[in-house]
Amino acid sequence: MTVRRGPVALAVLLLILLPLAVSTDRFLTLANARAILASAALVGITAIGATLVMIAGSAVSMAASQTATLVAMVFLWTLSHGLLVATLLGLLTGVVVTVVQGLVVGYWEANPIVLTIAAGFAIGGGSVWFSGGTPVAAAGGGYQVLNATVLGLPLAVYVLLALAVLAQWMLRRTTAGRQMYLVGENRAAARAAGLPVGRVIAVAWAFSGLCLALTGVFLAAFNTSATTNLAGPLTLDAIAAVLLGGTAIAGGKGSALRTLGGAVLIAVIADVLLLRGYSTGIQILVKGVLVLGVVVLVHLRRRR
Amino acid sequence: MRPERLVPGAALLLVVIVFALTPLGTGVPLASFDVYNALQGFAQIGLLALAIGLTMIAGEFDLSVVGTYAVGGMITVLTGQSSALLGLLIAVAAGALIGALQGGLIAWLRIPSVPVTLAAYIALLGLAYALSGGLSVTFKNQAATLWVDQTVAGVFSPRSLITLAAFAVAAVVLGFTRLGAELRAIGGDRRAGRVAGVPVERRLVLLFTMSGTLAALGGALLSVSFASANPDPGLRPLLIAAVAALLGGVSLAGGRGTPAGLLAGALAVALLAQIVTLAYLPDYSTQLFYAALLAVVVAIDSPGLRRTLDRLRARTRRAAA
Repeated sequence: MTVRRGPVALAVLLLILLPLAVSTDRFLTLANARAILASAALVGITAIGATLVMIAGSAVSMAASQTATLVAMVFLWTLSHGLLVATLLGLLTGVVVTVVQGLVVGYWEANPIVLTIAAGFAIGGGSVWFSGGTPVAAAGGGYQVLNATVLGLPLAVYVLLALAVLAQWMLRRTTAGRQMYLVGENRAAARAAGLPVGRVIAVAWAFSGLCLALTGVFLAAFNTSATTNLAGPLTLDAIAAVLLGGTAIAGGKGSALRTLGGAVLIAVIADVLLLRGYSTGIQILVKGVLVLGVVVLVHLRRRR
Repeated sequence: MRPERLVPGAALLLVVIVFALTPLGTGVPLASFDVYNALQGFAQIGLLALAIGLTMIAGEFDLSVVGTYAVGGMITVLTGQSSALLGLLIAVAAGALIGALQGGLIAWLRIPSVPVTLAAYIALLGLAYALSGGLSVTFKNQAATLWVDQTVAGVFSPRSLITLAAFAVAAVVLGFTRLGAELRAIGGDRRAGRVAGVPVERRLVLLFTMSGTLAALGGALLSVSFASANPDPGLRPLLIAAVAALLGGVSLAGGRGTPAGLLAGALAVALLAQIVTLAYLPDYSTQLFYAALLAVVVAIDSPGLRRTLDRLRARTRRAAA
């Protein structure tokens, strides 16, 4: 009999988490559920893109926060030309900046982690140069529509759901998506089989850039101005969500829907700890330990 | 000449020449104080570069060193207010434990080092925040702060001498025992290493224990010197340490590098930082400069580019023939 450790681990986690959550004051309220989804939205959107990058075997991008911040600045700065132009230019910035890294990783096989650390600092330096070190204010109106709530939930939540479904469909039903699994599973074999390895990886990064840019646009609309540390711990939170969803960092395995679950799980845990009065430090610590546990489990399962 | 000697040698030589020529740009002659400052910069990143460089020789990548660096600094400040040495020893012991635990997971469960050390980095960041309440903590032991940065022989300080000593110990241990060759074997071809009798698992645990110890020592010395500990130093120390390690002749693919090369790489980066300081560049352009440097070094280190270049070379040779 084969024991599937993933569902067992999830059940154990829920058994621990549920009583803690339910017994927490103000956890079981509609307002809190909304707050959880809203806080999961931005991390989730970035994490969906990061899932594709990880499945295609390029591990993680350490430049997410800086990219989203740069996009937010471009978006706010170009709002004087209207919402549509600003959004398109923001998305273009995110995709171009990210796909350049994807090309270097895809075609030259550069180490993605070290490369994106470098890229993160380059983009961060670029956004300081762009903004002159002062907050970038909205150059026009119209962005308020992005903060609208539909049926009590912010627009970003719907975008997250749509992106998760789109990514899942792409991964399971399109050639490009299935090639991402093959390339991530074994790059040398994929190349030997004649797959366009570089292009497959670049497409995954382009999609990730699009997701990062959407995160940046929503961040900008929500904060109405952008400082250089606007996105905060986005990079690590997104990585944590992808890993908690059980995607293997070595590639070839994972799902966008499970990343969605990972993002919600992180938001729930942060929410419970916050309501129970734990500090930010403890929240980050718990997140890290949990991710470590899931990484160990995923790997043990992969080995058998 | 082999790349692991050529790269660090050339990098260090080039930077030393530029450093010696800085008076031409600034109009102020170099003082021993400038060398002292460069060595202080070396002390700040040297141990981190050694820690990450050693793991890279064995084909692993320890992202958690920045977390251990922060936690080491925090523990030193919190426990060393009366005796800095006691604080430092507790921090180093904690660093060794953090490294050994990760090494155990990586070696015995055969999990790749990146996800383990990435998760550990997040957890350690949280630990540093939790220990400090999210704020910088001041170190009130002024005597220790003054002692660790006093000038020795004009250009050194106890801090830079301790850092140099760590490199010397690493060079002796890796050069005169089998450990150096074993780590390179683990990094080059792990299966062949195992067949040749290298106790891979035990060496990996030892390796990560070393990187945790070195990172914690680096963080401890830094916080004593700065008289404060910051719970989140960001990734900047890792960026600079990675530049130093790659300039030091190690490869991200593993199997290549020596402590002497890493020393040359760390010294080159420290001198470079001092040149940048003397040139009064704005902060963001320094950041852009390091980022560009790391990006270029990583691109050159990448196997795909090398393959493309080899193919081009073969084609031109064929065309010439």
